[in-house]
Amino acid sequence: MNGRRTASVCPVCLRRVPAKRVRRGGAWVLEKTCPEHGDFSAVVWRGSEDIDSWTGALPEYGAEEGLRCPEGCGLCDRHLRKSCCVLLEVTGRCNLRCRFCFADGGSGGDPDGELLRARIDDIVKKAGAPLLQLSGGEPTLRDDLPELAAHAKRAGCSFVQVNTNGLRLAADPGYVRALAEAGTDIVFLQFDGVRDDIYETLRGRPLLRVKEAAIEACAKNGIGVTLVPTLVPGVNTDQIGALVRYAAAHTPAVRGVHFQPVSWFGRVPSPPKDKDRYTLGELIDALVEQTGGAITRESLIPSACDHPLCGLHGEYIALPGGRLEPLTKRGEAAESCCGARDSAERNRNYIGKRWSGAGDACCCDDADPHSLDGFLLWKRAHGFTVSAMAFQDAGNLDVERLRRCSLHVCRDGRLLPFCAAYLTGYAP
Amino acid sequence: MAEREMLCGKCGCPLEPRRVDFEYLGHVFFADAPRCPKCGEVYLSEELVRGRVAEVEMELENK
Repeated sequence: MNGRRTASVCPVCLRRVPAKRVRRGGAWVLEKTCPEHGDFSAVVWRGSEDIDSWTGALPEYGAEEGLRCPEGCGLCDRHLRKSCCVLLEVTGRCNLRCRFCFADGGSGGDPDGELLRARIDDIVKKAGAPLLQLSGGEPTLRDDLPELAAHAKRAGCSFVQVNTNGLRLAADPGYVRALAEAGTDIVFLQFDGVRDDIYETLRGRPLLRVKEAAIEACAKNGIGVTLVPTLVPGVNTDQIGALVRYAAAHTPAVRGVHFQPVSWFGRVPSPPKDKDRYTLGELIDALVEQTGGAITRESLIPSACDHPLCGLHGEYIALPGGRLEPLTKRGEAAESCCGARDSAERNRNYIGKRWSGAGDACCCDDADPHSLDGFLLWKRAHGFTVSAMAFQDAGNLDVERLRRCSLHVCRDGRLLPFCAAYLTGYAP
Repeated sequence: MAEREMLCGKCGCPLEPRRVDFEYLGHVFFADAPRCPKCGEVYLSEELVRGRVAEVEMELENK
């Protein structure tokens, strides 16, 4: 078989099928055949970045014998990564009806608080001291979310993050204060662009002012905000540079941008074509081009913990005049994090520290960022990260990538790789 | 108690405060440190190394 061997699923019936990654017309696609539903292909990489240089040499561990991914997930002894972050769904309800939503929120009830506290204790037992993501649905619809955050900190979670659309944070200052007092470190704020028409298209209503009010409320209470855009071709992929500039201009309240190219699970309008997908390769090109080179290609580093096709990150200081000082450099990153001893802890401490509130970052305009003292002042007040995670759906799921997943979802007491937890089939 | 003058171990010259450049992971930083005007030897105090230099290193460590 030509191409790189791995395994995937039939996007209709979700049965496990052999797959291969091959080059077609300047792009890399995942091809597979279901004996019942026929041939399928989905683009996994486009752009000027060479995929082999980006991933480095990796074994074909998606094609190994005896694997049961994804139907056999929770984590088994064939899974290659520990839990860096664990996501816990605290409600099925939502106050938006978005065009795209991995969690397919909008209905369903709330699990009992007692049950969730027991789940958190169990997560800590299984995953050590994870970065815990309180998610939904829309988690801020729960009045007891601050109590859950406080319980998570008491139970030993290193960092507590709330994944939110920001509506309640913008409208309810007492609630934000309670979340902060409970020890919430990070708000992952759905933030798709700097224009209202983008929110109207993706979220059904103009929300930019609401997002800005949420950021202000978090800043006032010392909770770090990371902007999380869902990138949809034809809707907001022209916003990538603008989002980086917005984040840089709003440090230290905003601690980073975490891009999520759209994935086609949960509530999606129709099965995707390749033109509907956006790969990390394209994101790398766009980050460089749309920032006029302020984000340098060499500052963007493939994930060493998750699979290189799943994640990237870069770290910067926002200097006056829109200049960015890159702090990361490809080739100088530490070796694989989760493969090493205490690596899950190392990874979560890295992202947790950078996404959490900046504390008492004071003004530093007079300090030279290249002096030891000035660097520390600038980094604390105006350091921010650019990162991305490309989730997989039934069309492009690659077991090689799935086996390296370190973002796990708690479901009925089991820990599942994120893309196995949210996997949904398309209508034939 | 007044600070004692520091002398270069090689040349015996009094060290003078000078700007010193450091390189770490491709980044160059500077700080003031006592330096021998003759041979260029620099004295890095434990306070500097365990303090600010270590802090900068931690900020630059990758995951």
